[in-house]
Amino acid sequence: MFAIVEGPIDVGAVISAAQRPDCGAISTFVGTTRVDESEGASVEYLEYEAYRPMADRKLEEIGAEIRERWDVRQVSIVHRAGRVDPGEASVAIVVASPRRGPAFEASRYAIERIKEVVPIWKREVWSDGYVWVGSQVGTRERVDLP
Amino acid sequence: MSGVKVLLFGAAADRAGTRETVIPAEGVTLDELWPLLAERHPDLSPMRGTLAFAVNGEYARGDARVFSGDEVAVLPPVSGG
Repeated sequence: MFAIVEGPIDVGAVISAAQRPDCGAISTFVGTTRVDESEGASVEYLEYEAYRPMADRKLEEIGAEIRERWDVRQVSIVHRAGRVDPGEASVAIVVASPRRGPAFEASRYAIERIKEVVPIWKREVWSDGYVWVGSQVGTRERVDLP
Repeated sequence: MSGVKVLLFGAAADRAGTRETVIPAEGVTLDELWPLLAERHPDLSPMRGTLAFAVNGEYARGDARVFSGDEVAVLPPVSGG
């Protein structure tokens, strides 16, 4: 299953859906929103923007790449769009494989590829402005603009 | 209005002050389209080196040619996860 969702990710449901009698391992990676602080200001929430349907298709392509490389029987990736509050899951990756090795490796591969090729952007909304992560464009005064 | 539809995302939309624009062009490469876009939205220019492009939903290089009705996306460095 590959999805971009506006609301909270039900990580337990994604894991349950991956349980299969021919697999002895399910590896789960959950990315959560972290609150950074600097010079008296802090992150209040994150906001994700996706270019759809390209982003959906790229998630599916990552799943196909994983199946080419490892013996996995189920790959699910669910990514949030819109506002995500601190500590919430912004992405969940669940890989089921007969053996634990491929499950671990494939879930790591998935998050690294997401950060390379999936057209999704994150904006940190601070108490004193916002910053587009990766571009360092925003309204915070301390941010060095290009 | 016919032309190439340009979608802007993230920091690029911020800099341009718009998320979508149409550029009257036909059969130009992305490298040739860029100055037309930057002319309209000069604040985009400093980002040029960081941007990637997609044509009709797939990554494309600067020599890719675009035609009226195509959808070009201006993609800042992705930051999902």
